Amino acid sequence: MVLKNMSDLRNIVEGKPKKKLVLAAAQDQHSLGAVIKAWKDNIIDPILIGDKEEIQNISYENGYNLDGLRIIHESDTLISVEMAVKMLSAKHADILMKGKVGTSILLKCVLNKEYGLRTGNLLSHIAFFEVETYHKLIAVTDVAMNIAPNLKDKIAIVNNSVSFLHKLGYQAPKVAVLGAVEMVNENMEATLDAALLSKMNQRDQIKNCIIDGPLAFDNAVSLESARHKGIKSEVAGDTDLLLMPDIEVGNVLYKSLVFFAKAKVASVILGASVPIVLTSRSDSEQAKYDSILLAAAASN
Amino acid sequence: MVQQVLSLKRKQRIAVAWAHDKNSAAAVTKAALSGLAEPVLIGKPDIIAKTFKEEGCSVPDLNILEADNEYQASVKAVSLVVSGQADIVMKGLAGTDKFLRAVMDKEQGIMVPGAVLSYVCAMELPSINRLLFITDPAVIPFPDLDQKIAMARYSISVAKRFGIEKPRIALIGPAEKMSRHFQSSSDYAIMCKMVDRGQIADCIMDGPLDIFLACDRDSVGIKGVSTPVNGEADVLLFPSLESSNPFYKGLVLFAGAEIAGILQGTKKPVVMMSRSESEKSKFYCMALACLMA
Repeated sequence: MVLKNMSDLRNIVEGKPKKKLVLAAAQDQHSLGAVIKAWKDNIIDPILIGDKEEIQNISYENGYNLDGLRIIHESDTLISVEMAVKMLSAKHADILMKGKVGTSILLKCVLNKEYGLRTGNLLSHIAFFEVETYHKLIAVTDVAMNIAPNLKDKIAIVNNSVSFLHKLGYQAPKVAVLGAVEMVNENMEATLDAALLSKMNQRDQIKNCIIDGPLAFDNAVSLESARHKGIKSEVAGDTDLLLMPDIEVGNVLYKSLVFFAKAKVASVILGASVPIVLTSRSDSEQAKYDSILLAAAASN
Repeated sequence: MVQQVLSLKRKQRIAVAWAHDKNSAAAVTKAALSGLAEPVLIGKPDIIAKTFKEEGCSVPDLNILEADNEYQASVKAVSLVVSGQADIVMKGLAGTDKFLRAVMDKEQGIMVPGAVLSYVCAMELPSINRLLFITDPAVIPFPDLDQKIAMARYSISVAKRFGIEKPRIALIGPAEKMSRHFQSSSDYAIMCKMVDRGQIADCIMDGPLDIFLACDRDSVGIKGVSTPVNGEADVLLFPSLESSNPFYKGLVLFAGAEIAGILQGTKKPVVMMSRSESEKSKFYCMALACLMA
């Protein structure tokens, strides 16, 4: 199965028991808006942890109705994040979401050795894009967390992403390892790593997916341009997941899809024991809502 | 192999550097008498004549050129081929270092400019009904990625001379899994992708593979590894001289292998054999050189 668009995520969520989402430092207008909308749409069951007075003020100003919503008052940001993480590690909830708190503070709590959400896996970011010009959703990793992943990191990033795609119902997602060219070039490290990842996949050392690379962006997403170049590949033109060589390429691709291609985007952090919705202030409310949807669809 | 060469019906002129040893004498004689080659012997005329006489080699009109020492003889043999007076260079009793110095000389040598000097060896084994090519059992101690790519390309061109249009190349390691402990496994993955992308043409390649997966179809089934080489390798490309050299020598000693090797990266064929090679193998080497000429 592959997902065609964001509404397919909605269908997955509707077939599952409702998931509990904890919003840490919930006194944040953008996240609160998306969480309340997702709650009204029956996608999640939210728990807000944060400054109750501020939450009520924001809600009053924006016309949010908090009736029936569970709010735990904690005016200290750090403590509210700790409470949220502890609630998840005790398995009292399914999804963690960042509110008005710095990413580094949240991740520090997530990685806390005593009460954190560590699994031993690398944390990585995955973003799903819906664009009119592609025939299905395309996932991209890592555009936000890992700066310059080495081969070992790339293996971990692929594994995180593939197991997430499996949770969404993909059987053998097609993974394109992106380069500037589809040829192996000794001066381009990304193309060499791509060759190694492909071989590890052939030898079953990276399982449950089909990896090919290097592929240039055009032949990863367009069968026509792959054919034009004479590339024989199961992945070319039908990519489910694009693996980026580094954050610079990834981040620029992410933003150009959003700004120029008017893509819808949903993203989560993988590698912890639960999906983490960690959107930035500049993300639209729709992107935050879709990210909640994505996390809910993949939750066990 | 010999049949293929004889069918060419063209005698090659072989310049033998320091033709002082018995094995060379016997092999050269056989090549001359079978109509394969026309030898030019370089060294001390009295010693050459004596050696040939002792071996009972009766080649009519022996063509002998004088040289004072191994290096001079090597330089002379190379220059004969460079100037077109001979077709093939062959090492006789000259030391490998002196011989290669003459071959690789930047001005008077016979290297293709910028080419990697390497070695491909064809092997006839009683246990399989086809030739097996080995690279590089003689020249490069630890080939890097570029050298491995050159080795693969050389083996393809040699195999083609034997009518194998798309040789199956197995890149040999101790196991088929990728491992950070073996640099070769990374190089192999890169090479396989280069084949996928047409950067190395005209072959079927897979690696890392161990010898079983490369040469034994039953092992492929048992291990459940999906590999296009499928236990039917034509070429075995080794990660180092330390692994390739004992491999071929072991097969010669214990499995009755006969071999024919040839240097690669030269403008014209160069025959360079270990002194301990059998007369038959030396003859095969000459036949291979004639085929490549």
